[in-house]
Amino acid sequence: MDRQAPAQPAAPSPAPSPAAARSVGGQRVLVGQPRAGIATALRRGLAGIGVRYVDVALDVAGVLASAEAGLPDLVVIDRALLDHAPDLIASLRAADGARELPVLVLGRFGSAADRRAVMELGATDILARPISRAELAARLRVHLENRSLNRSLREVIRSLQTFHTGAVQRMQLARDMQLALLPDVDACQDIERRYAVRLDSHFESSSELGGDIWGARVLDESRFAVFLCDFTGHGVAAALNTFRLHALLAKIDLPGDDPAETLGAINRLLVGLLPETQFAAMLYAVVDTVEDRLTYATAGAPKPIIGIPGHNLLVGESVGLPLGVSLKASYRNRVIDFPPGAFLFLFSDALFESRDWEGRPFGYEGVLDLVRWSHRDLDGQGEGSLAKLLDRYFDVMPRPLADDLTALWLTRRGR
Amino acid sequence: MNYTVRDLGGVREIDLRGQLTFEANDDFRRIIEGMEKDKISDCVLNLGSLDFIDSAGLGLLVLANNTANRSRVRLKLKQPKGQVREMIEISEFHTIIPCEF
Repeated sequence: MDRQAPAQPAAPSPAPSPAAARSVGGQRVLVGQPRAGIATALRRGLAGIGVRYVDVALDVAGVLASAEAGLPDLVVIDRALLDHAPDLIASLRAADGARELPVLVLGRFGSAADRRAVMELGATDILARPISRAELAARLRVHLENRSLNRSLREVIRSLQTFHTGAVQRMQLARDMQLALLPDVDACQDIERRYAVRLDSHFESSSELGGDIWGARVLDESRFAVFLCDFTGHGVAAALNTFRLHALLAKIDLPGDDPAETLGAINRLLVGLLPETQFAAMLYAVVDTVEDRLTYATAGAPKPIIGIPGHNLLVGESVGLPLGVSLKASYRNRVIDFPPGAFLFLFSDALFESRDWEGRPFGYEGVLDLVRWSHRDLDGQGEGSLAKLLDRYFDVMPRPLADDLTALWLTRRGR
Repeated sequence: MNYTVRDLGGVREIDLRGQLTFEANDDFRRIIEGMEKDKISDCVLNLGSLDFIDSAGLGLLVLANNTANRSRVRLKLKQPKGQVREMIEISEFHTIIPCEF
């Protein structure tokens, strides 16, 4: 084997330069050719198209040794080598990073079957002799340019993959942080035990992050509050607003037992804080388990659905400017009987605005039908109502929904 | 969303049709820009043929209202129907933007 690389150090495989910058001239070609005359012709042809690094090996062992010393960009072997070692191409490609190594086979081919046999051994292409110098040069150039292009593409894909992996990891972290804003299992169980209720929830973002948030707060021995808030839009921007709200609720002393005043206070904090086209629809409810009463106020939120044993479903009134739009907004409390056995169903607008496979919105009436159906044969404990309802819902609704969906189903246990 | 613009004196009447959602963002912002630039005194958004509005659509109405206030244009909503009327009522938008039902 002789190495025709003028000032090239003999070190194995130098660190690859950025592939995109590697022109035809900078590529390394390994020639496996037992006949000196043909080897010289190939070398001249390669020099003619500007290739500076050419290794020539005389036999199978030489080809393998050379490839091991430094991975070439292109291999041109004589078909005679394949007669001795039919698995030569496979062996070359078994090396690290050589899976797509182009290998051209030079020789005389008597028939189509003959060519096919060589292609089946893994050849990238065949250079059939006799071949003119010009054609040889042209075909070598095509393969070297392809190789260079493939490398650039792979580099781009790899860099995109790296970016994507990083983005996915960052999103996952952000998503975990967002989920941590919601009451966890312990917090829910605490509320359930203290107030003899059952609290089921569902939180589903239309993308990695969402613009919904809900919460439950202990007020005193007989009262607790639940709320559901849906910021305009979805995705990262809307999610940032949920963090804002969570921080406000945690840090600021709110009149938490008066829904209308609570919404008014949050509104005053959000006006000026939210960008012009963003606001929040929110429902805040206080359940009084001694007075058997539900007091709630809404700010542009969907009408809540309330079930009281022995009565038809009740659609709660909902009127109020969304939060963050105007300092002039004021909110009203509504009071409803809420005896043991009663339930409250809250949800973000995605539940009825989302569209089915035919593009029709599910509709508020559809939600009412769903609640009636899911509640028909229940024992009044609200056991599994929400899960059952959503199972049925997603039978006809394609995922992912176009907007974030949050749903809360709160049931007072029977006395 | 599709829309038609009619100017009569300093009064611009715009008929909105279809759905006012995030997808209408670019078109609607052009309407708002026009309101700001074209030296009109009044702008009426006719919602009679609008079938659907979501919270992003309401956000665009807020933007239109704020721009109108800044450019001293009197903005009015007219004849919302069905789901659009319900959304405006639930969100009490008629308390910040004059609305003729």
